[in-house]
Amino acid sequence: MTRATRFSALPSLRAWLVVLLAAWSLLPLVLLVVISVSGGWRFPSLLGADPGLDAWRSLRQSTGRLLPALYTSLGLGVGTGGLAAVLGLPIGRALSDLRGVWRFVGAGCAFLPVAAPPLALGVGLQYSFLRAGLGGSAVGVTLAHLIPALGYTSLFFLGVFAVFDRGVEAEARRLGAGGWQTLTRVTLPLLRRPLAEAFVLGFLVSWAQVPLTLLVGQGRVRTLTVEVLSWVQAGQDPLAAAGATLLVIPPLLLMGAAALGFQRAQVVAP
Amino acid sequence: MSVLEVEGLAVPFGHEPGLREISFTVGRGERFVLVGASGAGKTSLLNAIVGSLEPSAGRVRIGGDDVTRWTVNRRPCVLLSQTPLLFPHLTVFENVAFPLRVRRVPSGELKERVEEALAAVRMSGYDERRPATLSGGQARRVALARAVVSRPPVLLLDEPLSALDATLKDEVRRTILDLHADYRPALVMVTHDLAEAGRIGDRIGVLVGGTLAQVGMPEEIFRGPATLEVARFLGLPNELDGVVEKDGALRVGGVCVPRPNTGWSGNLGTGPDCGRRQVRVVFGPDGAELAAVGFTSNDGGACTGRVEEVVHRPDGVNVRVRTELGVVELGVSPDRIPAVGRDVALRLRAGSVHLYGNDAGSSGGRSVPS
Repeated sequence: MTRATRFSALPSLRAWLVVLLAAWSLLPLVLLVVISVSGGWRFPSLLGADPGLDAWRSLRQSTGRLLPALYTSLGLGVGTGGLAAVLGLPIGRALSDLRGVWRFVGAGCAFLPVAAPPLALGVGLQYSFLRAGLGGSAVGVTLAHLIPALGYTSLFFLGVFAVFDRGVEAEARRLGAGGWQTLTRVTLPLLRRPLAEAFVLGFLVSWAQVPLTLLVGQGRVRTLTVEVLSWVQAGQDPLAAAGATLLVIPPLLLMGAAALGFQRAQVVAP
Repeated sequence: MSVLEVEGLAVPFGHEPGLREISFTVGRGERFVLVGASGAGKTSLLNAIVGSLEPSAGRVRIGGDDVTRWTVNRRPCVLLSQTPLLFPHLTVFENVAFPLRVRRVPSGELKERVEEALAAVRMSGYDERRPATLSGGQARRVALARAVVSRPPVLLLDEPLSALDATLKDEVRRTILDLHADYRPALVMVTHDLAEAGRIGDRIGVLVGGTLAQVGMPEEIFRGPATLEVARFLGLPNELDGVVEKDGALRVGGVCVPRPNTGWSGNLGTGPDCGRRQVRVVFGPDGAELAAVGFTSNDGGACTGRVEEVVHRPDGVNVRVRTELGVVELGVSPDRIPAVGRDVALRLRAGSVHLYGNDAGSSGGRSVPS
């Protein structure tokens, strides 16, 4: 193969890599739907037997449990995402201002809750949260979810501020803008897109969180994810699969809405 | 009356002394141009005036108020940066309106003033465009409109014509001069381009070695650089060693140039008037001329040499001649260009050479009185 043909083969290789990624990402979701419409799943059957919508009917009948769990998940996700975005911005900016070893230490602190298993965080937090009266409350669970979420958004904003041109803020000040005016008229509008992305990031961290919810929520805060997990533990596979399918929908809608919003917004990446 | 007064300003560059003892004033409607080599501290000086940099000593007064400790946004001056930094998320109209919005100017007046500013820079009709869709020249003009829309009494321009092609340069220069004529702020412009400084400045200040080495009208600066450093900054191509004799005549090698009636230009230092003095002799292409045929090195101020190179420039033709004094570059008439290798006689023009004594210091020099 000549050098030229090797290069011309690259685009198709890239295309195949994208297809592989798509297949790898979609496979569990497709299987999820298949299982949710099968009556049961016995070895060695690959796709289950007795197709039907029994699981979805059962799910509909359990709306009394499902809807409160959905609302709890949404509330926790929105709260965690909002706080993680709002707090992650100044923290990420402060981290980007650090130099030398302090920057390394700061980034390490932000990375620690991301790297540590949520179970370890949960075990560490549950007693202190209990003593503080936060155990079993939505506020306590939100704060617990915020620990890894804030790690993610702080690191995210550290990257954003590494390329953010502070010159625009200095220019605004030179043109007469005070600190608040600079923030509201220049900085935040320019960071609208990263803020939205950080919100989605925080929401997704909270939405998928199980160990922290179970340990800090102490069974009293029941999210959709926790409900689905209980069906899995009870061996109700089709029901768990139908519930898990529902779990996927809100994040997909959120990401779709965010993507549409980004396309419409004339936001310039600084 | 002076609108801007800078008094004894010092701005360190990290651990280096940086700018020291900078003092000058600019009156209403005056155009003051600061020139200096790259890294001389021109932009730092503007940043210290506008408040982006904190001076270690000295004062800045605007309209009589001591603004040295005022925050950037409170100072009644605007700095137009070298690279125009338009807000990418705002339209052209909103960019220009920005200084008025932060000052809470009523919307009717705001619209009128923005449209007026855009018209002044010939950018009417671009209101809804985004900065990303503008050319370099258009972006500069919008930035200029934004800088003047609030009519600051002091307007600071940092290399506004750098990195522009000749046509755009003309366009932006004309816009600056029109705007200045329109509301007559005290204008301070920074450039390293001497030709631009001469075109725009009513007065020029030369920043050399961290100090304002000379301030004067363009012709004063160009005709009589006060120090050797200023002369070097002006790019005068010839620098030779010489001696001023007791009678005031200059001797460079074997060439003797009688003292001109107006006295020597430059700075001979503070030594005793009697006795010989070692000097550096600096002059431009007009400091020497080809002598008429028949001149010999025995004649006053003349020597002979061989043409080494002919240099064609936009403003004329220079020839480089190797003489007993060293290589001398002088201007010649385009219709009398000597061929390379030809022997010529040349003569120093006493009125166009500048002498600097070895003890004249590196700054703060003054022209030698005639």
